[in-house]
Amino acid sequence: MEKKRRVITLLSIPSIWLLLFFVLPFTIMLLFSIRETTFSPIFPPTLSHYIEFLTTPVYLRLLLSSAWIAFVTAVITILLAYPLAYYLIFHGGKHRLALLSFLILPAWTSYLLRVLAWKVILGSNGIINTFLLSLGLIDEGMPIFLYSQSAVIITLVYVWIPYAALPIFSTLERIDIKLIEASQDLGASPLRTFLRVTLPLSTPGLVSAFFFVFIPSLGEWVTPSLVGGADGIMYGNLVQTQFLRGLNWPMGTVMSTVLLLIVSVFTMLFNRHVTMKEMSALA
Amino acid sequence: MKQLKWLGPFYYSLLALFLYLPILFLILFSFNDSVVLTFPLKGFTIRWYQQLLQTPELLAAFRNTLWVAVTSSFFATLLGAMAAIAISRYTFWGKRLFSSVATFPIVIPYLVLGVALLLFFNAIGIPLNLWTVGIGHVVINLPYAMLIIGARLAGFSANLEEASMDLGETYWGTLRRVTIPIIMPSLIAAFLSSFSTSFDEFALTFFLTGTKTTLPIYLYSQLRFPQRLPLAITVAAVVIVISSLLLILSEWLRHWGEKAYKA
Amino acid sequence: MKLTSVFHLAVVFTLLALMLSACGGAADGEFVILEWAGYESEAYWEPYAEQYPDQPPSYSFFGDDAEAFAKAQSGFEFSVIHPCSSWWQLYVENGLVQPIDTSRLSNFDNLYPDLVALGNFNGQQYFLPWDWGYESMLVRSDLVPEMPTAWADLWDPQYAGHVSIFDSSEVAYVVAALTLDIDPYNASDADSEAIKQKLLELKPNLLNYWVDYTELSQMLAQGDIWIGANAWSDSYAILLDEGVEVEYLQPEEGRLGWVCGFGISANTTGASLDKAYAYLDAVLDTQSMANFGNEYYYGVASEEATKLLDPYIIELMDLEDPVAALNNTFFYQTISEDQRVVIEQIWTEVKAGQ
Repeated sequence: MEKKRRVITLLSIPSIWLLLFFVLPFTIMLLFSIRETTFSPIFPPTLSHYIEFLTTPVYLRLLLSSAWIAFVTAVITILLAYPLAYYLIFHGGKHRLALLSFLILPAWTSYLLRVLAWKVILGSNGIINTFLLSLGLIDEGMPIFLYSQSAVIITLVYVWIPYAALPIFSTLERIDIKLIEASQDLGASPLRTFLRVTLPLSTPGLVSAFFFVFIPSLGEWVTPSLVGGADGIMYGNLVQTQFLRGLNWPMGTVMSTVLLLIVSVFTMLFNRHVTMKEMSALA
Repeated sequence: MKQLKWLGPFYYSLLALFLYLPILFLILFSFNDSVVLTFPLKGFTIRWYQQLLQTPELLAAFRNTLWVAVTSSFFATLLGAMAAIAISRYTFWGKRLFSSVATFPIVIPYLVLGVALLLFFNAIGIPLNLWTVGIGHVVINLPYAMLIIGARLAGFSANLEEASMDLGETYWGTLRRVTIPIIMPSLIAAFLSSFSTSFDEFALTFFLTGTKTTLPIYLYSQLRFPQRLPLAITVAAVVIVISSLLLILSEWLRHWGEKAYKA
Repeated sequence: MKLTSVFHLAVVFTLLALMLSACGGAADGEFVILEWAGYESEAYWEPYAEQYPDQPPSYSFFGDDAEAFAKAQSGFEFSVIHPCSSWWQLYVENGLVQPIDTSRLSNFDNLYPDLVALGNFNGQQYFLPWDWGYESMLVRSDLVPEMPTAWADLWDPQYAGHVSIFDSSEVAYVVAALTLDIDPYNASDADSEAIKQKLLELKPNLLNYWVDYTELSQMLAQGDIWIGANAWSDSYAILLDEGVEVEYLQPEEGRLGWVCGFGISANTTGASLDKAYAYLDAVLDTQSMANFGNEYYYGVASEEATKLLDPYIIELMDLEDPVAALNNTFFYQTISEDQRVVIEQIWTEVKAGQ
């Protein structure tokens, strides 16, 4: 009884909040998906948009390619963020949180402007081009790394590194340094200690960092339209188009709902996986 | 590993350079006497900064943004912590459903969420203002806060909490005296992450704001006019310089305080 | 805090509800204008300020027509709105705006009749034209191997990888239609298919689709692109001013033209309606319009105001004979919801196709 009351107290406000300001609004939105057009009445409802979605190869293809981009982005980001968090925790000293915060500050500058600045740096007339031109390595200025699918991934990684470091940082921080010392005292090599002790203990951080990057990247639309070039659009651009210029809220809703379904499958799988991992770690 | 001591600082500096490079360029261009950002530079000017001072709307937009970011991050962190504690410490009916639904807001393009919330607020007759923007920001930041705080709670065993309760402390007292101190770094991290998202959020904010403007809304709409670009980058330069100084100052104060305490 | 936790919850929510209702920003009767950011300067509505000295309008800003429409459509309450012509019909069809009693506007008769006609639906005036401008190709004359002369030259392989066009379904559709000699506003299904194929053929020539307008000027200035398609005249003026070698084409098929203007929300009544009329009359004032044109390098919707423009702007925009200039420009027509959906579908398939 006591436990039940604690759960209720802890969960009530977040649940009501989500119910009121997310589930309810989204349900209103969902009702659009069964309308003929954005402005037509709900009755008679239609499933035509769902059918159209499933029978339009372009949509599914973009969904798959966006999932791939998001996945690659998440993996690269974690690979780059983990050493950062590791260094800060074990060698960062007293200032470690400040050092991490320092890397997050650039996010307070408008994203659009930061990308614009990168375009200046990497553009035809930018620093790198001028340098290459003066070395005679190229004979005509051209944009480097910009306007392609890889540019989208690079830019997303750039954005997410400090954020992905946050959950890893806070899991690593609770690892008892004595565990690591004990492992080393027992003669384990640093690599073995890392693989056997540090890495398993930081799994929850890794998983949440993965979500942190993967989920929002899946629905990303700003980055592809800024640096994606003529072929770089992602699924999120489709959704955005349906809502704005396309005036097709029903289709936009169907597409968002598909994203939700995918993510819920993912979270369910991961939840199960993480619980098992934790048990094996304890055992 | 000793011989690789330089590797960490080197890596950190590399990342810092990577993250700050565009910002250094923005600062450089904010003193350039030209409305386009190209090399070679045209000449030194402070007229963009003068223009900045003559644009009171910007100051108001900045105040609004700050208010929304602080308030919404506080609530996002608070709610995120409550949810994360419940999920990692208890089993209850609908737990998996709850943790799924709670991550949904970050996958829905914010634009869609913005439209949905606007329709909802209209339906129940809540007028748009900075509170509605704040509500939206809590919704999108709650999952991130949960992820960060949850990652720290997961694994750190409940033994400490149980011990505290065995010693006669109430559950809520234990939360305050044991759990919260342990998760404090993740609370700060969650707040930071929420704050950063909120500070530069456009799509959701556009739909949820009434006649009060936030900085991203103001800046993005200014970018429709090429001649306004210098003003926009000047704002960015000011924000980053002030926030870096604040960070350094607070860190210095903290250490100075610690030293004074020890002495 | 055991049994009282429910009570605490109740307190929190009551407080929350109170905060929400007490801090209502857009209170009833507030005079709200949904406007492009930057257009709120008092120089454009001084007569209104004289009439209502202590009650300046409140502004809600947008930077894109589609966003403004989505916000209005979702129920955002405004009194006056300033969209561009191709969106006007949608506002009318969805009952978002009310007919304007033009006899209440002393400056109405100065407006160009051709532009006024675009705002007339079912015999009633719903929108009043205010600002207009060209859309054409802005070309880095120092970088291109050969100057383009027509919209069709966007497809010329010698510019491959150095062209950017506006990420707007409507704009791309109309440009492709012009080069194919199809009337974009009366296109058959076969025509639309031809337009789609034509746009797919353009892709190898494109560096990207530009989204925000600053980006376009920026890419031209840096030389990343040689041809910026559907650039407006302000970008031309600014790049010239910066010493960038650009030319603003007069394509063989003609320049395109956009026009934007003011409408009054269907929900505006009483005192707000009086303010709305006062505001509209103030912005339509000759001096207000001229102030605007001189600031933004755009055309304005009355001949009297055009005469007050800076001679430099008149030369830059070929406005010595404004009526002839308007007649030579192919203005975007208003399009219906169905047309928009078709056009958007085509554009999506083009962008996603490989």
